[in-house]
Amino acid sequence: MSVVTLQESRSSSERYRAAFDARWTAADPLVELRRAALERFVAAGFPTQRQEDWKYTNLRRLEARTFAPATSAAIAVGAHEQQWIAKAGIRIVLVNGHWMPALSSSDAQLPGMTLLALRQWFERDPAAVASFIEANTREQPSAMEDLNLAFFEDGVVLDLADGATLDQPIYIVHQWTDGAAQLMSNPRVVVSAGPNSRCVVIEHFVGAGAGECFTNAVCDIELAPGASVEHYRIQQESLRSFHIGHVNARLLQNSRYASHDITLGASLARVNLSTTLEGRGAHVALNGLIAPLGTQHLDAHTTIDHAVPHTTSDENYRGIAGGRGRGVFNGKVIVRPDAQQTDARQSSRNLLLNAGAEIDTKPELEIYANDVKCSHGATTGQLDAAALFYLRSRGLDEATARALLIRAFAESIVTSLGPPALRNHLEQLLDERYKVIS
Amino acid sequence: MSMLKIDNLQVRAGDKQVLHGLTLEVAAGEVHAIMGPNGSGKSTLVQVLAGREGYEVTGGSVSYQGRDLLALPPEERAREGVFLAFQYPVEIPGVNNVYLLKAGLNAVRKHRGLPELDAFDFLTLVREKMKLMHMDESFLNRGVNEGFSGGEKKRNEILQMAVLEPTLALLDETDSGLDIDALRIVANGVNGLRRADRAIVMVTHYQRLLDYIEPDRVHVLSSGRILKSGDKSLALELEKRGYDWVKQEAAVA
Repeated sequence: MSVVTLQESRSSSERYRAAFDARWTAADPLVELRRAALERFVAAGFPTQRQEDWKYTNLRRLEARTFAPATSAAIAVGAHEQQWIAKAGIRIVLVNGHWMPALSSSDAQLPGMTLLALRQWFERDPAAVASFIEANTREQPSAMEDLNLAFFEDGVVLDLADGATLDQPIYIVHQWTDGAAQLMSNPRVVVSAGPNSRCVVIEHFVGAGAGECFTNAVCDIELAPGASVEHYRIQQESLRSFHIGHVNARLLQNSRYASHDITLGASLARVNLSTTLEGRGAHVALNGLIAPLGTQHLDAHTTIDHAVPHTTSDENYRGIAGGRGRGVFNGKVIVRPDAQQTDARQSSRNLLLNAGAEIDTKPELEIYANDVKCSHGATTGQLDAAALFYLRSRGLDEATARALLIRAFAESIVTSLGPPALRNHLEQLLDERYKVIS
Repeated sequence: MSMLKIDNLQVRAGDKQVLHGLTLEVAAGEVHAIMGPNGSGKSTLVQVLAGREGYEVTGGSVSYQGRDLLALPPEERAREGVFLAFQYPVEIPGVNNVYLLKAGLNAVRKHRGLPELDAFDFLTLVREKMKLMHMDESFLNRGVNEGFSGGEKKRNEILQMAVLEPTLALLDETDSGLDIDALRIVANGVNGLRRADRAIVMVTHYQRLLDYIEPDRVHVLSSGRILKSGDKSLALELEKRGYDWVKQEAAVA
């Protein structure tokens, strides 16, 4: 078995190396950074289930396929608009990983905000982009983040000045074109929230119809003292696609990062959400929903690192698995030795809709300080038979009663969504998914 | 003709036989009270009638308005006019009280060939019924029974009953846990539903409820059988003498 695995990984690495050589020349200002990332990726290979962090998620299907870096696709204005959330905010559209100015809110600028597509910036000042990306990349990127770094083409940079408060969300659409297949996109989003600034960022991953595509997205968020970032990630890509997401948030004192991570799409999805609390008074809130159906495999891996004293975190993930779907939640909480007065709460509640479905939930607490409050709870159950009977005894048919209870289970995640446009969108998605008749 | 005809009903829960051949007839317009000691099978009886899963009917039959009741799924029974007021109403956070009322009422109306009520007519109806139950409108937008006190839950059951207007109402210890004021409100709600074309079967431990809702017939259920039936004076006698004499009488017979 090991021989086969080795050959597979070697050939997949070589395929990516060939793709790299075809895509980038020495003229690219980032080529050295990219080359180094590629070499790290090739050396490490795709993660395997022998790695503890990947125990429940097997990437062999992803590894076996060949995805070409997606080039910019010209699409008609309005072609995919019905898939987007109306009135969600200032819109930036990336199609197959490339910024499409014609589909984006034109030159929308708010006081104290710099909002750029990476490509725009490249065109103006490639050297600045290179040093910026280098400075904003994690010290030890994972293999899949290195793959992104090697191949990323475009993305979004949001920079908020001291005290800037955005009165509307930044809505980033990651759109695959209908009919796209065997393509790979490696978008990067960088958010730098200055002291006491506030913003809402929505990332929406959609599209690809029946095509098989691979999204490998990175989002790096820096929160200066007192900053507040509300981050929404709605992933509803096609049921044949692969989706790997990386979110890294670094919090300085009294800053607040709230994440809402909704995973409904893709054949195989994995989100690595990693937060580091590096300043006193920093607070992280992670809300998430993973809802596999059919044969979907949806995995949420979160890390909350309490690195200094007096920081707090509150995590609430829900999983709903139906069909032969499989969900994974892994919630790691680290409390560093001197991080006294940490208050960390974690809850993972899961619902299995039928016998073939599976959810693996694993709280992982590493506590090295002694004066802390840490709580966690994980439950996995089925629909409450007593509640089901109660609803049916009032005249509701079984399918409706089940759908209502499923929706009720997800309700705390739905109501945690701030922007009404988003909440309505998720409600509709869940109603369709579980066939609620209203 | 009787509305409900239970003939020699035998029911098993797990490996325990709970009902041992229970026979009971209820005619339209009547109110029946079923009394009996703990564990006699009272709750099992009404739950089986409402269609709760987990019970195995091992013999006998139940005919409701001439139809085989036991062949119907719970929602069909509800739409045909059977209503169970639960002894322990279930809390369902995330499902709105008002949504459930509306969905239930429209399911019943559709079944009866009536048009669905629009939002305005529905709210008018619900508000009127809530007033009857002395319930605050804030209940409407709360989760079903979520955080309700025991008395609020029971009132909510009767509110649902008043909205759904069942033909056969089964009340499972609706009086338990109620103070005297709440009992009066609940009893008023039930009495308001008494009509020549409706029947009510109430399961209770105590004579107290029967002071407010006067039964036409009283039955003593013990060890899964009806041991004795009578008029309302039987309830008074039970209150005075307990159940043992009925059991002894039955044993002798």
